[in-house]
Amino acid sequence: MLPFKLPPQILRLVLVAMAIVGSYFVARSFLVPPSFGQYGWYRGAALAEIASREPVFAGKQSCDECHSDILHKLAKDAHKTLSCEGCHGVSREHGNNPDILPVKSTGSHCIRCHEANLARPTWLKQIVVKDHYGPKCTECHLPHQPTKSP
Amino acid sequence: MINEVTNIVVETLPQIQGYVYPNESNVHPVWSVLIVIYPYITGLVAGAFIMASLVRVFNVKALAPVYRMSMLTALAFLLCATLPLLCHLGHPERNYEVMMTPHMTSPMAIFGFVYAWYLMAVLLLELWFDFRQDFVKWSKTTPGFQGLIYRVLTLGVTDVSEQSVRLDMKMEWILSIVGIPSAFLLHGYVGFIFGSIKANPWWGNVLMPIMFILSAIVSGIALCVFNYIVLTWIRRKTVNMRCLDAMAMFLFYALLVDAVIETLDVLHRGFAAEEGFAVLQTMIREKLFYTLNIGQVGIGTLVPLLMLGALQLLRHRVPEAVRRTMIFCSGAMILFGVLMMRWNVVMGGQFFSKSFRGVMSYKMEFSGQEGWLLGAAIMCLPFIILTVLVKLFLSESEQLQPCEHLPENSSKT
Amino acid sequence: MKNQINRRSSLLRMGGALAGLLTLSAAKTAKAAVQTVFVSTSAPKGYDPTKHKWLMCIDDNKCIGCGLCAEACKKENGVPEGPYFRTWIERYIIPKPKPGSGETRGEAIVDSPNGGIPKGGVSAFPEPTLPKDQIEHAFFVPKLCNLCENPPCVQVCPVGATFKAPDGAVLIDPKYCIGCAFCVQACPYGARFLNPVTKTAEKCSLCYHRITRNLKPACVEICPAEARIFGDLNNLHADDPIQKFYEKNRVQVLKPHLGTEPRVLYAALDKEVR
Repeated sequence: MLPFKLPPQILRLVLVAMAIVGSYFVARSFLVPPSFGQYGWYRGAALAEIASREPVFAGKQSCDECHSDILHKLAKDAHKTLSCEGCHGVSREHGNNPDILPVKSTGSHCIRCHEANLARPTWLKQIVVKDHYGPKCTECHLPHQPTKSP
Repeated sequence: MINEVTNIVVETLPQIQGYVYPNESNVHPVWSVLIVIYPYITGLVAGAFIMASLVRVFNVKALAPVYRMSMLTALAFLLCATLPLLCHLGHPERNYEVMMTPHMTSPMAIFGFVYAWYLMAVLLLELWFDFRQDFVKWSKTTPGFQGLIYRVLTLGVTDVSEQSVRLDMKMEWILSIVGIPSAFLLHGYVGFIFGSIKANPWWGNVLMPIMFILSAIVSGIALCVFNYIVLTWIRRKTVNMRCLDAMAMFLFYALLVDAVIETLDVLHRGFAAEEGFAVLQTMIREKLFYTLNIGQVGIGTLVPLLMLGALQLLRHRVPEAVRRTMIFCSGAMILFGVLMMRWNVVMGGQFFSKSFRGVMSYKMEFSGQEGWLLGAAIMCLPFIILTVLVKLFLSESEQLQPCEHLPENSSKT
Repeated sequence: MKNQINRRSSLLRMGGALAGLLTLSAAKTAKAAVQTVFVSTSAPKGYDPTKHKWLMCIDDNKCIGCGLCAEACKKENGVPEGPYFRTWIERYIIPKPKPGSGETRGEAIVDSPNGGIPKGGVSAFPEPTLPKDQIEHAFFVPKLCNLCENPPCVQVCPVGATFKAPDGAVLIDPKYCIGCAFCVQACPYGARFLNPVTKTAEKCSLCYHRITRNLKPACVEICPAEARIFGDLNNLHADDPIQKFYEKNRVQVLKPHLGTEPRVLYAALDKEVR
């Protein structure tokens, strides 16, 4: 078949090499995931898989569905940038079933942002806790309208 | 400083000085003992092969007695080269992905192909051509299972006519020539795995692949010296001093070049003094003091350089037994020093934060996936494989003598 | 002998070609089948990654160091306890120079205890050890994956398990990652870690499961100071906060000399931040 005579040892090696390379390509066609290369050098299906995780935080928009009155008040005052779940905790379950109540926030939530700290920007109102009046923040400050008193 | 020593030997609590990124403040390093061993083993392969090539390509007849042994050493270590990499993976069962969907920009993926090429297209082929006529001979004379192994290894080709043996020789010569750049590529790529990390000033360095290749050659020759002396001792043969002296000479020159390039690297880093230089200084002065200054530079480079250098000058005035001991000691010290070099590169790159604001010490495990135990086991494995290979393919009667067909080859080339 | 070998080799060749053809066609049908399976998962419908280009901006004047973002991120993404953070907050304290030293400032003191997440209601950042009158500047910096345009982590991944999605998010395929940690080493920003539970690499995904559902990433959603601004450059609407951020500020990226071209832009960054 061949125009020249291939020495036996070379021929044998060529066969072995062909078998190895061939089995590589056969293995490759089986083992490469189907969506590989859809967008680039990765599994395209991974995008949908990563996106399919269920969100944990519900987001301000879903609070707005029932509590638009509070959000309305909030939007007019200094706490307008705050997210509901920042203080009330993850409320996805509460959104699905209003009987499950979100976490009751306490004074430590206020302290988390408003305790005096040198590294905090000066535009933020800060207190030195031990010099500041009161065991309870809500006695003097309304959380949703912080510039107003109860 | 003492922390570093205790950290290598026993487990100590992780310590952080300065600021490190929160993700870096882990108890265990991301890459550990196994990744230290990986470039070490690969380097030994490349080095042993290049030493063997001295016989085939550069026709250094004095080294002929160790040609087959160095080739088998290279094979034994190459078979284990990917093992440490495999063991350190979080998902070893997914290792096939590296070959199936190799990401062409990743040094680690290309290494898979360079490795496969080197193993199958260079080392195994060259060994096959070299041993083929012996396989045919042994398959006829050896009974039982061992005979069967030889028979399988002939791949069914029994032609040992003068013409075909001459062809074998020619192929071997070609393969050796292909093999030298391949060996450089193999270990250069290992160096590139570290040299390509621009985020890490300890690693990201153009000289890294070159330093890896040079230290690989040094360690490979040292390993051949070590193996040769141990093997003759086990088999109660006399050492061929001409061969040993030649190995010592090549070892000396290789070590000299390696030392110069590594010094150049240090000088360049010191002169450029780029971002993060301060933290690198701390590393050399404190974190890596023992392994770098004493292990790599002192024990691994300066002392062997002095010993081997002295032997080059005073070869004929030193009695054979002393010479043998000196060469053996330098070989062993170089093997230790190169291991320290790998440690310094791999661990050194993880002892400081990429914020360049802090350094950390790690808890080195004894057992476990990245522990000392597994590392030591993997380090022993090539020696076990080598013992089997030597038993199978380096029969006592003819071993360590110049190959009988070598002069033919040299007259032809 | 020669004839026999030739016949054998040609047979082998034919067999190989046949096997190759068979597997190719089998793979193609399998591909189609599997793709429909993935489409029918709970992934959000109607999201086309090629039609978005996400961008994160950080206004460092606004960060108050409350640690809500880092905490929310851990909750949202199920990040394990311990030194594993997809986002974290650093505090920089820059002392005044020693009198007569001729320097502009002292050496910065940086910390990020527990990534800035308070433990047991106590602020993560303790009072600085330096007296107040010796401090020149002090500020917080939120950190996260820098969404590089040329991500070094993607470059080194040997299998293509981490990638830059068409929408600019740098993601990890947890089912494909082999856990070699090369990407952890390659990231200049320390944004990656090996998840001790899944044994795969992990990093900020821009809350990919949220942004594909028209929600903001958890850290952006929760930030009380609007220090984090998130948007889609391909779908800018009128008075988009991203657009405003651009118009108002001069921006900077982290470690620009590495050529990674981050898509996380900082305003009001100090030179000490890296």
